[in-house]
Amino acid sequence: MRDVAIVGVGSTQFGRAQWSLLKMMCEASHDALVDAGIGERKIDAVYVANMGAPRNNRMAGLSSALVDRLNLYPHTVSETIENGPASGASAIKHGVHSVASGYCDLVLVCGGERMQEVNNFEATEFVSFLSHRYAEYVYGVTLPSLAGMFTRLYMERYGLEPKHLAMVAIKNHANGALNKKAHLRIPVTMEGILTGPDAWNNNPWIADPLRFFDCCPVSDGASAVLLAPAEMVKQFRKTPVLVAGIGQATDSQAVQERPDPTELTAVRMAAERAFAMAKLAPKDIHVAELHDAFTILEIVESEEAGFFKKGQGHKALERGETKIGGRLPINPSGGLKARGHPVGNTGVSQIVELTLQLRGEAGDYQVPNQPRHGFAVNFGGFGNNVVATVLKRGV
Amino acid sequence: MARETIVAAKCVNCGKLSYPTHFYCPSCRGTKFEPVPIEGEGKLLTWTRVYALALDYADLSITLGIVELDMGIRATGRLRIAEPKTGARVRATVGTVRETGGRDIPGLVFVPAETA
Repeated sequence: MRDVAIVGVGSTQFGRAQWSLLKMMCEASHDALVDAGIGERKIDAVYVANMGAPRNNRMAGLSSALVDRLNLYPHTVSETIENGPASGASAIKHGVHSVASGYCDLVLVCGGERMQEVNNFEATEFVSFLSHRYAEYVYGVTLPSLAGMFTRLYMERYGLEPKHLAMVAIKNHANGALNKKAHLRIPVTMEGILTGPDAWNNNPWIADPLRFFDCCPVSDGASAVLLAPAEMVKQFRKTPVLVAGIGQATDSQAVQERPDPTELTAVRMAAERAFAMAKLAPKDIHVAELHDAFTILEIVESEEAGFFKKGQGHKALERGETKIGGRLPINPSGGLKARGHPVGNTGVSQIVELTLQLRGEAGDYQVPNQPRHGFAVNFGGFGNNVVATVLKRGV
Repeated sequence: MARETIVAAKCVNCGKLSYPTHFYCPSCRGTKFEPVPIEGEGKLLTWTRVYALALDYADLSITLGIVELDMGIRATGRLRIAEPKTGARVRATVGTVRETGGRDIPGLVFVPAETA
């Protein structure tokens, strides 16, 4: 097996798309190819990550369409990968395996999602298809409702308070305000969303105990990475970033069936596998992008990944350890909370953000002290399909 | 509607009750099951009131919960309980939980245990 490196990254603006889904994906791909300095080199494979195009955009077989627009036919191998909100990291995993095995040399992985083509009810509906058809979905279960039930149980067991959830939102909005490509660039305050006289108007219930500012926005966006075998990195112009480890795990589809419903077993197992492959431990990580589709998830994923003991994640947050400049900055890009969550694309965008951090190119939201190791969690369903990735600067 | 039942699956081989059903029994990998109606009382494990609903809802909010039933399974369902509290005793009933394309879909509706 060969080591695999990221040699180019690209991303569109997140938020409400100015372009069609395909045009967004072309722009992100083009950015990644220019970033790498691809020149006349041939791309062997294109993997596309998307969750909702057949329903929301009335398009199927997106990878063939992207290959067509980028004029990469007929030699290029291509597939579209749908793995719920973990599609992005899944597509990267397939790209890494293709290069590692020697099947391909240069692989373009592009994630794209255009959710604002449908209204919010339809967007909520299509994401809720992830839940168990007759044990959850028919009852009106949505992803926020699963997160709400999880949060209530978790708060009772571990002493988490509403202020801790608000702290995640405040931190990630502050980070997102520094990221020019973020969907939400508005700093928020404890007064504005929790303690002040207008807090309940600004921050209504979504699925109590979760409020509006505990949930990620519905975003459009595309991101892309170019993968190459480590032995080829000298041909490209940017500092290479090694995909040191990728782990994946699955859990029961219905949340009710988990022996302890406050545990995210698939996050723990995916992280353990990624760390084992990378021969690194949680203490070695300098920056992380976690899947904060809901504020609670950043806290619990930080525990399941091994950065903090169970029930201690919110205390580390309270001490400021997860801010940019803290001991372990989490979601310096703003996370799903502020950068945005174009569902099928998110896993790719996390890898783009970590690559920028490890190269020292993140600008206003750069984590100090030249981070060398990055970590991402891309979380599908309500934890029923999770991909964890460990990145390392240099090859 | 009252005639409808929601069922769990009892493995014919080992007797293990599961809900929702799986193709293989989670205990013995058996593939034959008999239906067992979900009924009786249980304890509310967790709940939420949801204000951001998907399509097909006329309501402004719905209340959902996960219940640990005395019969030995957990089930997600609607709560018809004014002020839910975790740990509260509830009883399983069946009612309409979703109306899709003019069709009423039956499902579990949990009410306070003391309700007649």
